[in-house]
Amino acid sequence: MSDSAVLVEARGLAKTYRGRKGSSTDAVSDLSLTCHAGEVYGLLGPNGAGKTTTLRMLSTVLSPTRGTARLAGFDVVTQATQVRSKLGFLSGNTGLYPRLTPREVLRFFGRLHGMENDAISARIEELGGVFRMTEFLDKRCDALSSGMKQKVNVARTALHDPDILILDEPTVGLDVLASRTIVEFVRDCRSRGKCVIFSTHIMGEVSRLCDRLAIIHLGKVQFDGTLAELRARAGDDLEEAFVTVLEQST
Amino acid sequence: MNLSMVAVIARKEFRDVLRDRRTLIFMMLLPIVVMPLLMVGVTRFVTSQAQAKQAKVVRIAADGRTQATVRALRDSWYEHNATRLALLFGSVGLSAGGGVEGLTALLTRVDDVEGAERSAEQNELQPDQAMAAAIKGLQELDEAQKRLLREARDVGGLVGRIEFVDPAELSEEGSLAQGVEIPDELPAALADASLTLAIQRKHIQAALHLPSDALVTLDESPLSVPFGTVVDGASGLDYSAGEYSLLSRTSARSSVPVHVLYDSSIGLSEEAYDRIASFVRGLSAFTLDLRLVQAELPSDFAEPLQLTPANVATTSRKLQAALGGILPYMLLAFCFFGALYPALDVTAGEKERFTLETLLLAPVSRFEIAAGKFVVVFVAAIVAAVLTTTSMVITFTHGILPPEVMASFEVEFQPLALLLTASLVLPVAALYASALLAVGVVARSFKEAQSYTVPLQFIMVLPTLVSMLPDVEAESYLAWIPFVNISVLMKELLKGNYLWSFYGVTLLSTLLLTLLGLGVTSWLFRRESVLLRS
Repeated sequence: MSDSAVLVEARGLAKTYRGRKGSSTDAVSDLSLTCHAGEVYGLLGPNGAGKTTTLRMLSTVLSPTRGTARLAGFDVVTQATQVRSKLGFLSGNTGLYPRLTPREVLRFFGRLHGMENDAISARIEELGGVFRMTEFLDKRCDALSSGMKQKVNVARTALHDPDILILDEPTVGLDVLASRTIVEFVRDCRSRGKCVIFSTHIMGEVSRLCDRLAIIHLGKVQFDGTLAELRARAGDDLEEAFVTVLEQST
Repeated sequence: MNLSMVAVIARKEFRDVLRDRRTLIFMMLLPIVVMPLLMVGVTRFVTSQAQAKQAKVVRIAADGRTQATVRALRDSWYEHNATRLALLFGSVGLSAGGGVEGLTALLTRVDDVEGAERSAEQNELQPDQAMAAAIKGLQELDEAQKRLLREARDVGGLVGRIEFVDPAELSEEGSLAQGVEIPDELPAALADASLTLAIQRKHIQAALHLPSDALVTLDESPLSVPFGTVVDGASGLDYSAGEYSLLSRTSARSSVPVHVLYDSSIGLSEEAYDRIASFVRGLSAFTLDLRLVQAELPSDFAEPLQLTPANVATTSRKLQAALGGILPYMLLAFCFFGALYPALDVTAGEKERFTLETLLLAPVSRFEIAAGKFVVVFVAAIVAAVLTTTSMVITFTHGILPPEVMASFEVEFQPLALLLTASLVLPVAALYASALLAVGVVARSFKEAQSYTVPLQFIMVLPTLVSMLPDVEAESYLAWIPFVNISVLMKELLKGNYLWSFYGVTLLSTLLLTLLGLGVTSWLFRRESVLLRS
């Protein structure tokens, strides 16, 4: 794995939120990680650990207070537009336009990524097949179920065929069938050499998908390695191992 | 800045915003449909209320002597004018044989003819042959006949439109409402608290009192026809020729005080007063004429100085001044409201729907995102302003102004005035768009954004009301006051006054303010603490 190209590299990332009256909160204090092409990198951590802030910094939505990060060789602060063109990002904060149809949403983002009309149409048809969305591509998004919306959202992240995908809890609230579609999609991305950062609370998905994983707690990476390395350090049961790492966090 | 990306964002925002009912309502439905309907509806309602008030019979408390005096005065006036009245009503195809008692019915018929004339002018209903002849007859009345018709309504028609009530029949008890006092100078007959109470409780609309020697006082004027044989049963006075003649020589006054008790805070009570006042004015003018004839004095004797104004403002220009006063406010207010919902929808609305972050992840700069959104809000503001102006002008010219006013109304708005007005609206629309976008992006939710727009309305819309104040002139210092300058200047432009230095300062100060607004909005769009505030 380490022979593959490094697509995501963060060094000493930190994000401090300044409050009123001079108070401050460190959401992420000193975070470093490296992800490669053809790798699914799991990101685990309890609520408030700093996962979402980290992913937002990697996606250029937030600027780091300290440290650097490069995606596909581009700096997240100074080359933000190039970073975004190489990235597909999905989180609970990336919704769909309710008054537009999935086709219109995808077409809009395709244009923003500089794709030609024909290429967008072909890609929509292709993703419509992958995510079984054909029958609701022309319905307004506010009329879709949660599962349908999430499929459209994942299709949006993959529309411009980016090298890096960051999926923050993509299967949350979905039924088994919809979750399976997304898991299959992630596997397909890995096989096509993409780098996928996959954040989740579901240990089953971690064991099925992730090649390596990081456990974040208190704004820092507390563990970074393969599943086997995690088990060797903290026990066979993944959930128990996760809790053990949290308890040993500094 | 990549303009094609701005266009992509703007196109998407247009599509999105145009599917939002609230935006459509504020941008299109309100100016095109609701405002005209409201304005026409309110105008018609006020007119119909006024007509209904005029048609109502009012109850006036008066003692028997006062009642008899009013009737006697009315009868005397009629006797003097019977022949002229016959000619007048004859010209509209009516027989005046009904005597003074039938006068009210005849006047109602004249009202009908005038109503038919209005309908014909508005092309609502074409009159039949008889009605057409009556309309023509009315139109051909000379000035003296028109004055007689007015007098017939005011003096001759009074008794038919009032119902006299004997004060003794009123048995009001209780205390007067707080703050109500019976005036000191009232004659004893009206000082009774029960009369004031009856007016307040709307059992009567007014109380009237004439002194017992009213007819005698007036008889000192040379009425050629005596008041006849009107006998007032209540007072026992017999106004037969002999008695009146005897009494008339003993009177030392030539003016009769007519006391009226009414409450101007009650609509119908004020109407009752107006009717009595018209009666007194009409009769007063008539009596004065007779006195002058008797004294062999010229008809303008009682008017030593005659005011003869020559107002150079045409009806059209007066209308333009009125429209010029209200248009800036309407134009800018709808510009603001047209921009309001799209601006909040594409900012705070997107935050609420979690779509703003999706957009921030696209490979476009935040400035391009702000610019794309700005284009949509700016266009919405302009569309709302244009629709409002158009529908306002159409509503005024085809729905509200009466046809006789419209006949003299010529739209004289010069193309240059419209061009200069547009050059002022554009920067203001840009300023509104940027300010509303700024408010929308700072707010955490749509609701919060709406609450921020209230003070914004006070700052940015309310000052434009200044053009509706009649005495505001385009003083040079006003050119530096934002929004007031636009409003005042637009009013002058629409009147045809091209104040170039005022225009220059206004345009410059507005452009500077607009640039500042755009700068602040653009800066806010680059701040993650603002964009991701939730």
